[in-house]
Amino acid sequence: MKTSKTYKFIVYIFLGLFSLYFLFPFIWVILTALKTETEVFAFPPKIFPDIPQFHNFVDAWTSQPFGVYFKNSVIVTVLTTIGQVASCSLIAYGFARFDFKYKNLLFILLLSTMMIPWDVTMIPLYMQFNIFGWINTLKPLIVPAFFGSAYFIFLLRQFLMNVPKDLEDAARIDGANEFQIFYKIFLPIMKAPLILIAVLNILVVWNDYLGPLIYLQDQSKYTMALGLAAFRGVHDMQILPIMSITLVMIIPPILVFALAQKYIVEGISGSIK
Amino acid sequence: MIKKTRPQKYNLVNKKVPYLFILPWMIGFVVFTLGPLVFSLIMSLFDWPVTSSPTFVGFGNYIKMFTDDPQFYKSISITFKFALVFVPLNLIIALVLALLITQSVKGIKIFRTIFYLPTVVSGVAISIIWGWIFNSEYGILNYLFSFIGIEGPKWLIDPKWAIITIVIASAWGVGTMMLIFYTDIKSIPRDIYEAAAIDGAGPLRQFFYITIPSITPTILFNVITSVIGALQQLTLVLLLTGGGPLKSTYFYGLFVYNNAFKHHKLGYASANAWFMFIVILLLTLLIFKSSSAWVFYENEVKKEGGKK
Amino acid sequence: MKGSTSRFKVILLFVLTAVLVLAGCSSSASKEEKKDKDGKETIRFATWDNEDTLNLQQKMVDDFNAQNDKIKVVLEGYGADYDTKIAAGMGAKDAPDVMYMWNYPLYKDALEPLDSYIENEGEEYKNNFYDALWNYNKTDDKMLGLPVGYTTHVVYYNKALFDEKGLEYPQAGWTWNDLQEAAKKLTDKSKKITGFAFSGQPDPYDFEMYLWSNGASFVDKDGNLDGNVNSAKSIEVFNMFQGMLKDGIAITTEGSGSTEMKSGNVAMFVNGAWSLGSLTEAGIDYGVVELPKFENGQNVSIVSSSGISMSKDSKHKEAAFEFMQYWTGEEANKARIEFELPVLKSLVESEQLTQDPVKSVFYSMLEKSDGYTPTSYIVEDWTTVADDLSLVFEQIFNPSTLMDPKKVLNEVVK
Repeated sequence: MKTSKTYKFIVYIFLGLFSLYFLFPFIWVILTALKTETEVFAFPPKIFPDIPQFHNFVDAWTSQPFGVYFKNSVIVTVLTTIGQVASCSLIAYGFARFDFKYKNLLFILLLSTMMIPWDVTMIPLYMQFNIFGWINTLKPLIVPAFFGSAYFIFLLRQFLMNVPKDLEDAARIDGANEFQIFYKIFLPIMKAPLILIAVLNILVVWNDYLGPLIYLQDQSKYTMALGLAAFRGVHDMQILPIMSITLVMIIPPILVFALAQKYIVEGISGSIK
Repeated sequence: MIKKTRPQKYNLVNKKVPYLFILPWMIGFVVFTLGPLVFSLIMSLFDWPVTSSPTFVGFGNYIKMFTDDPQFYKSISITFKFALVFVPLNLIIALVLALLITQSVKGIKIFRTIFYLPTVVSGVAISIIWGWIFNSEYGILNYLFSFIGIEGPKWLIDPKWAIITIVIASAWGVGTMMLIFYTDIKSIPRDIYEAAAIDGAGPLRQFFYITIPSITPTILFNVITSVIGALQQLTLVLLLTGGGPLKSTYFYGLFVYNNAFKHHKLGYASANAWFMFIVILLLTLLIFKSSSAWVFYENEVKKEGGKK
Repeated sequence: MKGSTSRFKVILLFVLTAVLVLAGCSSSASKEEKKDKDGKETIRFATWDNEDTLNLQQKMVDDFNAQNDKIKVVLEGYGADYDTKIAAGMGAKDAPDVMYMWNYPLYKDALEPLDSYIENEGEEYKNNFYDALWNYNKTDDKMLGLPVGYTTHVVYYNKALFDEKGLEYPQAGWTWNDLQEAAKKLTDKSKKITGFAFSGQPDPYDFEMYLWSNGASFVDKDGNLDGNVNSAKSIEVFNMFQGMLKDGIAITTEGSGSTEMKSGNVAMFVNGAWSLGSLTEAGIDYGVVELPKFENGQNVSIVSSSGISMSKDSKHKEAAFEFMQYWTGEEANKARIEFELPVLKSLVESEQLTQDPVKSVFYSMLEKSDGYTPTSYIVEDWTTVADDLSLVFEQIFNPSTLMDPKKVLNEVVK
């Protein structure tokens, strides 16, 4: 498709306008992280700090054991991502490519688990994890991921539903069993959506705050998000550390995204749709 | 385990196989979800002040909710109004963004990252920033407006503007939806577009006749998940407005949250939650029913009268 | 059909095994945890403090652990979402043994009454705390917490703005008329400077102090709103605050007003001791002064007190109290002095805090504020009442409504 100059021009205008909206608050986070307290609250607003306060980052990082938090966050994020990708691909495949009894009922049941607000299931879940002896461990944050999440299963199912039926029929004629079909034919096709759910899971788990707040107790178990929240008190908050830790926390998921971009594009372009 | 000779005929899938695929979820559901779900349903029949033991009140919580709590109806109405704006708006923005980032222009990778960036930023920091941007007297936005001689609205103080503020701030995190659309659009084979281009179809025609029909499954996904998200919106109002001004952003999610953790009425909050659960479930079923008319799955193309 | 049901049984079996396995491997873990390596009793201690003071608290806990060979305290810091965490813990019968507390009426059923513990310590122990503070740490005549810190509310004023206009700094004993007059002189629309700022959605718990100062209150002894919150004396207070907005000498703020104060463009606002540190960090040269009086009234402040309580379900009550004593003792009060106003008379004396130009203000407000009971301690369902009141306050103070106090207050009592 040939793109004309005016077409490109319009594209850039839109890209620019949206970038402004998306970047402005973010840039303000960066600028704030480099200011002094006085500059942060000044009015008329001060856009640039007189002297960039890079030590804000060091101060914030050393004020709490963020090294430990970082390690915990990485453990939780990596393990849940493995768990979600492994379990959701199987489950979604089951829902998308087979007909079986009670399928629709079970699928509705699956979707309905997204609809109950956590406020009311949190306490019973807490009790349950307490019986398991999982409170104040990372287990409540990790183990459930190995049993799939409705959101990712649903998403993956939508992709899988959109693959032509003849694909596995041909393989069945060749005598492949169902798991071989799944493993050899569908997993490669699912590369892009699986990377997508990995990226999304990393994003969600990395920033998850309520789970760690409820299930963890002592500092050696805390995650980054919980450490970040500790700068927010009941009456006052420490703006500078909040901003600098927020920026540090952005780096891993954005790096993952930047890397994944390539595969999301590549993963599909060769395969059959 | 039951060992049987594998069926030789390819059209006969062993009946237990599908269940083996979804088994992880079934186990997870029973172990992690079912208990708390049933528990909260039972609790909705109790008066449970958290700090002491629950007492049975039958349908008292539901009756109170429907007959004796004006805030219940107000919160529902605010929430639905919000969803009515938020869901279509976000879908459209996400779709536009997804289309933009599939364009092959210079620097597109950077734009992709820029558009995705907001979803990565933690809610706490960003709600502080939005608070400063929208602060009526000493806010950044109104300060900028003052240069062009406009007296900006009192964003978070005027009830009419507060809900708009929430919409602006929440649309900021549209990146997830954008990325889902993007992944799907990227998987549409290039040759279809090329063929259409040869037939003389312009970008707009291509969009409506190729892109949209091909991504209807993910549109369905995004519609359903954003309806659920909008009806349960909590974090942003909790951090940014606390439900104010004048309860104009007192969304249902906040209503349930406050009943549970501010008023310590967990039984009542459970009843609230179950009511919304039913509403969302019905809505979802409705959307699913309607989807047979507008969602096209490739694996159903060949089946006759494929139901879904 | 028959085949599918038997398959379901297989799956059910799977599920059951999975549950058993999960439960099995976990129960072994849970038993290990409770016992510490050294056989010490482990006390969980939850605090709402944010990182600023958390490190200090951790150090104090470490000191206690070092001195003590029978008890080990584990500090848990939850910051702004303390209440959610504590409520979840209480609901699941897994609350921390010792926890910071201020909202006793809401949590009273989950807390251990401490009367007998306190009696054991003798009169002298009890008398060393300010009486006003004991009153804030009990409900229904049961002591539920030991005082740890407190703050009264005072007026913060920006010295630079006062100097600019050549105004005298306010002095204790001033009246609301004085404040309004000063605010009028300080307000400078062209520079976006405002004389006074107060929250557009004031917390009813805090706001009641203004009613007290004018001889009114939200409710009477029996908890009736009617005739109290809508009394002439009460309406007068609301009219005065609303009047300042109408005259343009005050603005309402979205939060407590500290953000606006930090911008350097607000001359005065009312807050607890929480702003002392952060205003300094923001580079504001400020002073504090007692709350103004109404004509013929006495200035009174609400006491925002914090204490520590023991969970009713704690399995280590004796040990917990031992730690609570340490935490409220003289040494601990002294260690916290930078962040928390001490609650022990002996320490206030030895540190000469009543001579301190800033801290003395909070103590003199405290002495004037003894004997007032906040409505939250009187009515059964304060959080609901507070919600209703809060909405009415907003209707009165929100610039887009500015409703007539008399009218809306008469409505809310119904």
